[in-house]
Amino acid sequence: MAVAGNYYFAIVGHHDNPVFEMEFTPANKEPKKEDHRHLNQFIAHAALDLVDESMWTTSNMYLRLVDKFNEWYVSAFVTAGRIRLICLHDVKNDDGIKSFFMEMYETYIKHSMNPFYTPNSPIKSAAFEKKAHFYGRKYLTG
Amino acid sequence: AETGGRAGVMAEEAIFDFIHMEAVSYAFQGGEKMSEDEAISKLEHMGFATGYRLVERLTRESGRYKDELDIMKYICKDLWVTVYKKQIDNLRTNHQGVYVLHDNRFRFLSRMAAGKQYLQYAPRYLAFTCGLVRGCLANLGVTCVVTAEVTQLPACKFQIQVQRG
Repeated sequence: MAVAGNYYFAIVGHHDNPVFEMEFTPANKEPKKEDHRHLNQFIAHAALDLVDESMWTTSNMYLRLVDKFNEWYVSAFVTAGRIRLICLHDVKNDDGIKSFFMEMYETYIKHSMNPFYTPNSPIKSAAFEKKAHFYGRKYLTG
Repeated sequence: AETGGRAGVMAEEAIFDFIHMEAVSYAFQGGEKMSEDEAISKLEHMGFATGYRLVERLTRESGRYKDELDIMKYICKDLWVTVYKKQIDNLRTNHQGVYVLHDNRFRFLSRMAAGKQYLQYAPRYLAFTCGLVRGCLANLGVTCVVTAEVTQLPACKFQIQVQRG
């Protein structure tokens, strides 16, 4: 049974710009206060340096844990096209996060095949968000 | 149209050949209003956009590459096999950012008479591929300029010049 935790997921483009962001909170908890959002972006952005460092040490896409800030862990996944998927989480959930990254990677590939989508631009597709919600429920918050 | 190498499926290869031929005709139909350079540039840009998106999809299986030379080998082997159903015949480099890819029987030139008869038209059929290679490399993190040279059909050479700094 996965321990209920909070997650912040972001897809980062080539210019360190957020292309997609989503938060996941456990179903039974009430929504968190708003100020966490800015902190999440700050932590994710700060972790990018460590992601960039560790991506040269391995040819795996899943980089596992790259950083920790107070109670937040940061896991990362880098594709061959150097798109970085970052996940902030306050509980350890390696398998769930890895599965979530793989599914979001597939979803991203399908989305990037759309000729109307400019790479590195924000993803504003309702279908993409739905998929992210679905996989978040399935692998992260349960 | 190129959805991986399923053995025995020939229909998709023919479609790709025909679409490419038609794309070249279409780019050059501007007549006097458009110069040869503009048409070639259009085709190259089409190739670039294609390559940029394609490589994200194709590298799903092959993973990430840390070394520039590994990336070039990927282009010569995996990419060429996926798109043109054969490997690059020879890869040369001066280890200072210049790579030359030799293809002795380039797919888009193989339907024309061998030799020098259609030499002046050959660049049109190479522009898309130059863009494709440039796009793939761009998304893999290598900024470069790709040019092609033909001295005798159907053999050709693609030169990749990596931009450093």
